[in-house]
Amino acid sequence: MDLLGFIIILVKVLVVFAATMLTVLVMIYLERRVSAFMQGRLGPNRVGPQGLLQPIADGIKFMMKEDIVPAGADKPIFILAPAILLIPALMTFAVIPFGSDITLFGRQIPLQVADVNVGILYVLALTSIGVYGIVLAGWSSNSKYSLLGGLRSSAQLISYELAMGLAVVSIILLSGSLKLNDIVADQQGYLFSWNVFKQPLAFIIFLVAVYAETNRLPFDLSEAEQELVGGYHTEYSSIKFAMFFMAEYANMITAAALTVTLFFGGWDFPLVDESSLGILGTVLSVCSFILKMGFFLFLFIWVRWTFPRFRYDQLMKLGWKVMLPLALFNIFITAGYLTVRALV
Amino acid sequence: MGVVHGQEMVLNIGPQHPSTHGVLRLQVKTDGEIISEIKPFIGYLHRCFEKHCENVTYEQVIPFTDRCDYLASMANNFGYVVAMEELMEIKVPERVEYIRVIMAELQRIASHLLALGTFGLDVGAFTPFLYMFRDRERILDMFEMTCGARLLYNYMWVGGLSHDLPIGFVESAFRFLDYFEPKIEEYNNILTYNKIFIERTADVGVMPADVAISYGVSGPNLRGSGVKWDIRKDEPYSIYDRFDFDVPVGIGEKGNLGDCWDRFNVRLTEMGESIKILRQALTQIPKNGDVHQTIPKKIRPPKGSIYKRTETPRGDLGFYIISDGSPIPNRLKMRSPAFTALSVLDEIGRGWMLSDVIAILGSLDIVLGEIDR
Amino acid sequence: MAIITKSYEPTFWDKLYFPALFKGLMVTLRYFFKRKVTIQYPEEKYIPPDGYRGLHRLNKYSDGRIRCVACEMCSAACPVDCIHIIPGPSPWDEGKERYPVRFDIDLLRCIFCGFCEMACPEEAIELTEIYDFSDLTRENLLIDRDGLLEVYELTKNKNYYSQTKKSEKSET
Repeated sequence: MDLLGFIIILVKVLVVFAATMLTVLVMIYLERRVSAFMQGRLGPNRVGPQGLLQPIADGIKFMMKEDIVPAGADKPIFILAPAILLIPALMTFAVIPFGSDITLFGRQIPLQVADVNVGILYVLALTSIGVYGIVLAGWSSNSKYSLLGGLRSSAQLISYELAMGLAVVSIILLSGSLKLNDIVADQQGYLFSWNVFKQPLAFIIFLVAVYAETNRLPFDLSEAEQELVGGYHTEYSSIKFAMFFMAEYANMITAAALTVTLFFGGWDFPLVDESSLGILGTVLSVCSFILKMGFFLFLFIWVRWTFPRFRYDQLMKLGWKVMLPLALFNIFITAGYLTVRALV
Repeated sequence: MGVVHGQEMVLNIGPQHPSTHGVLRLQVKTDGEIISEIKPFIGYLHRCFEKHCENVTYEQVIPFTDRCDYLASMANNFGYVVAMEELMEIKVPERVEYIRVIMAELQRIASHLLALGTFGLDVGAFTPFLYMFRDRERILDMFEMTCGARLLYNYMWVGGLSHDLPIGFVESAFRFLDYFEPKIEEYNNILTYNKIFIERTADVGVMPADVAISYGVSGPNLRGSGVKWDIRKDEPYSIYDRFDFDVPVGIGEKGNLGDCWDRFNVRLTEMGESIKILRQALTQIPKNGDVHQTIPKKIRPPKGSIYKRTETPRGDLGFYIISDGSPIPNRLKMRSPAFTALSVLDEIGRGWMLSDVIAILGSLDIVLGEIDR
Repeated sequence: MAIITKSYEPTFWDKLYFPALFKGLMVTLRYFFKRKVTIQYPEEKYIPPDGYRGLHRLNKYSDGRIRCVACEMCSAACPVDCIHIIPGPSPWDEGKERYPVRFDIDLLRCIFCGFCEMACPEEAIELTEIYDFSDLTRENLLIDRDGLLEVYELTKNKNYYSQTKKSEKSET
């Protein structure tokens, strides 16, 4: 690899990382502000104009707090757990294409950090690793509430990963590739070429699974404030707690980006051929990606502040008895359709 | 195949826990998430109410009754003054009776709003809680307008009231009712008929009618089990016999009779009935009358005792007062509905999951101030 | 009497989950655009209605004499014994001959029931609309006669909150 190529990749890594972290901050602000608006309140509006600096004030507060490690905690794992959760959450974004190719310095640069040819597998693998962070945090805290939180999280993992994976399989069947770029390319063109119109059932299953995956209400069983006080992060304080917090939002961002990529044509702006518009097309595609992602992030907040929480056996029931058969049925239909199409 | 026995774990819920409704401590034995035993420990909010009452005069007891069930102070005042008036054989003016009923019913709505909101919070829905608090606030504003306090009113006195209604109260009460009635539909949309909420509460914590009766459970909890028992109807006190209202009971609409959802729905429907009573009372209320007219100069009830119960938002509130003819009660016992509601928790909460126990506790609508007294 | 009946079977429509959930989502979305109820507290103060039971004050006659005659009716009426009065001969020629040498109220004990103002025959003690008098030490919450008279000066025009609001506005 030549120097320029290396620099380009470095810049892309930095830009994506910075953008993710910035979005995390924005999301922390929006979560509080939007929830407040939905509840007829105003929310944080003191720090900075319209309270925009609130996440920074929060961050400073977290850093200043005393870092407590409870007696009897398994210290190395206790310290490691937030990192295990946060790092995969930030890494997942690497394979998501967030814009059409751009031509700079005489070379075509894909707007994607790494074009892995098993992109979807990479995403699924990393999101599963993240759950270990929760399980380990719950176990190592040496607290009963945390332990229950960790247990619930592992139960949640096995009941949802499967349905989510199978929902993705039907997309893979359609596009014939594990590469996220190919999946996006497959959805180019007119509006109804988006997978959400081809695979509405898979979309619903995936969306529900993604809420469980990111530990958000109505599936935030592992932290369930009213039952488990704080669940797996009961005993965490200071910057370690902030890391859990950031991981939750980073996960949300990734999940929203993935939903957009798999079902809403990624960066595709309907009825426009971005590659023919040059630099303008790239800007348009990035904007379209951000807009779609923004909608799903808003949906995350919206849902969280409207619904009650499931019980954990209900969640497992939903996962195993409803979503898994539905996902299998969907695959069956998709595969059948593809076979028939190939024959005709 | 043998049965696998897990190791039992003792879990302390409270006294500092987000959903123990005050300072209750529950010691639960769990096998994983399944609860096998619940032991409530009370007394963290014990303020010697009954002993205290033996050392202050009869009128000075009233501010203390406020503090027992601090979410339904008006109803507590009401219970005490009704008992005292029967003991002293005082007949209060019409206007006073009407104002008392209006206040008690407004208080019932306010208290139920809080109960429903916190129940929603216990199962994880945060937003309805704030909507209900917002509406409750309007009732508190009206109380504040009337007696100068938002929570602990000291409003009903033996033989009368501390203040007459302020100018414009009736209009603002009507305005509130017009505003509030459509809100019930909104609560239904966001919480009551939300599928997740139904899943969480229907069939959970079923309290059969016989269990409820044998534990002495009363109020909306008893009615949730399908027993039509309301002191306002069955043993009318004050002027409740003049109003036309129903006593809503649970019918097992979404699951077994007497589950958490039934208790929730009974409270929600009761608010509608309270609105009915309020509309009647606000139109019938006599325009004139002195609320201080029958307040005795010195409260010195004759020797004897009285037990009088009234229907607070939580159930039968009984006051047993023994008088020895002096201006200080010889003994005062309060039978609090929340105490009996808490005692049934172990019976109906056993075998459910941790999340359910929190939901059951929320559906019983306990107030620790009243339990510990 | 144990009647456990299962009277409810979810219909297909109920089982779909989404219609009911969608209704809830619409409620929250509607509120997103509605007017908010927050009062921006330190800048914008809630003005309590007349008759609010807040911090106490001792009233004065227009010529500066204290209305209180130290009859101790209020401390007798107080259910929590938070009023302590030491009577003494009044320094003024006209009017009543007794006045309070000391008049202490323990605000931490006080339950703001309003019995003292009802009991007072001279309309001397009164509860004002001041509600934000929290403090950091217990000592600061023992209010004496001069403190109570100061509260009278602050609140005699019945515009304690509207007044402070105005002055703050002029500052900014």
